[in-house]
Amino acid sequence: MPPLTRKTLRDHRRPLLGWGAGMFALLVAYLSFYPSIEDDPVFYDQVLVAKYPGPLRSLVGMEDTLIGAGFLQMMIYHFIGCLLFVAFAASLGRRVIADAEEDGTLELTAVLPITRRRLLLERFAGVALTVLAFALATLALVLAGNAALDMGADPGRIVAAHTGLYLIGLFFGAFALAVGAATGSKAAAAYATALYGGGGFLLTTLGAHVAALSWLRPLSPFHYFLEPRPLYEGWPVGSYLVLLAATAVALLVAVPAFDRRDIGV
Amino acid sequence: MSTMTAVRAEGLTKFYGARRGLEDLDLEIERGEVFGYLGPNGAGKTTTIRLLLGLLRPTRGRVAVLGGSPDDPAVRARIGYLPGELRLEGRERADRYLAHLGEMRGGVSRERVRELADRLEADLSVRMGRLSRGNKQKIGLIQAFMHDPDLIILDEPTNGLDPLVQQEVHAMVRRVRTAGGTVLMSSHVLAEVEQVADRVGIVRAGRLVAVEDVGALRERAVRRVELHFDAPVPEDAFRDLPGVRDLKVEGTGLRCTIDGRPDALIKAAARFTVVHMVSADPDLEEIFLTYYGEEEARHHAAADA
Repeated sequence: MPPLTRKTLRDHRRPLLGWGAGMFALLVAYLSFYPSIEDDPVFYDQVLVAKYPGPLRSLVGMEDTLIGAGFLQMMIYHFIGCLLFVAFAASLGRRVIADAEEDGTLELTAVLPITRRRLLLERFAGVALTVLAFALATLALVLAGNAALDMGADPGRIVAAHTGLYLIGLFFGAFALAVGAATGSKAAAAYATALYGGGGFLLTTLGAHVAALSWLRPLSPFHYFLEPRPLYEGWPVGSYLVLLAATAVALLVAVPAFDRRDIGV
Repeated sequence: MSTMTAVRAEGLTKFYGARRGLEDLDLEIERGEVFGYLGPNGAGKTTTIRLLLGLLRPTRGRVAVLGGSPDDPAVRARIGYLPGELRLEGRERADRYLAHLGEMRGGVSRERVRELADRLEADLSVRMGRLSRGNKQKIGLIQAFMHDPDLIILDEPTNGLDPLVQQEVHAMVRRVRTAGGTVLMSSHVLAEVEQVADRVGIVRAGRLVAVEDVGALRERAVRRVELHFDAPVPEDAFRDLPGVRDLKVEGTGLRCTIDGRPDALIKAAARFTVVHMVSADPDLEEIFLTYYGEEEARHHAAADA
């Protein structure tokens, strides 16, 4: 592993532990709620689920039942999971260039005998591996919960859905890194990611009910994760390749933009 | 290009939007010399240095460092750099950070780091965020020197250091020269540059106004002198002495400004009994004004012609 990637991983230990602990607590809280839903499926499914209007159900990712996969879909693979993965990966993507530049520590890294392209890509590799560690730990927890609580969701599809979470996080990590690398501004990286992430999520969920917006929907990264419903349908290989390609595009744009620019002005 | 040139800038210009950082810099620094880069804060010293390192992209002009482009990793491997505003990773321990930078630079032995740390009396076992300003500066110096680079670029290196450590840094700079290395060192203190540099470039308001040997600069330095005698002295005895300006005699006191050598004044004063003498260090601002004044005068002369 390149030394800069190793160093980036070491720098990410703290955020990984912090976000990991938060995600862990949240998942455990959700999973511990599951037995009470299972005990009273009539109330939760027919009274609660049926009452929700369609657009709101799309927003929170509510399926027809809250038993088994329906529970995991709503609690993890829709809103909260997306939010946490995107926020975590984007915070790291912003951190490795924009934050380092604003706090001045990029200066000594940028004069090392490596090209700016390598600097950017090796740090991105650190982001990708940190988010991967986050994904594997949370996947293990979900699989364990699914087995222990007898939820009956297909483990293979849980892996497929979790892979999607990872890919959507990875894309936004690359996006935040690219905006940071092109502008050198923490604020620009944060706002652009929040805008694209929030807007994209609304477009894919609520936008499904607005015919006039349908042509815009492929522009949202969430279109390639939420729409194919991997927890139910299994691996959406084509959609996932689109997410990977979008990640590559973000990096391809970031490299020349970073290379041309003044650092630390 | 001559292989003996460590730094060459031609028409190097940098604007930050409409604001001028540096304009039309022509500069050559030979290998094996210590070049002092002198100027008040905001004159363009840091802009020059960051252009030489490839951190900034020039608006116009060209720059070559060690015969190549500063973007070339092979060139950068041979440069050591201490930023003027050093920022270190606060959570990282100094020894681990230095080990990382050393690894990125193709390997620096622990002994070498330890040797430099001992010389500067730096504590490497603490998180860098807890270090004082001076101790952070020591970490910055270690990373600039540790890989024995051919060219060392130091932006205000002794800022925040106590005088003993300053002396050690000057000794380290001289040692680099002895070993055939080149040092570019910026400062806003003439005395510091005088002590270590062979040549001095003076930058003011984004322009290089003069490049001089240190000896010549010292000769031309402007000095304020105050003499006190045991009895009132006649002004006539000091009037029209070479190099003496702004003469003011009041009773037993004499004040004046000296350009270059104080010899004539000293000989004139020797005829009386001197009880007290004050000579302020050459004032950097006045040296600038001297150069700047000449520049202006030349411009006017050119305009008149």
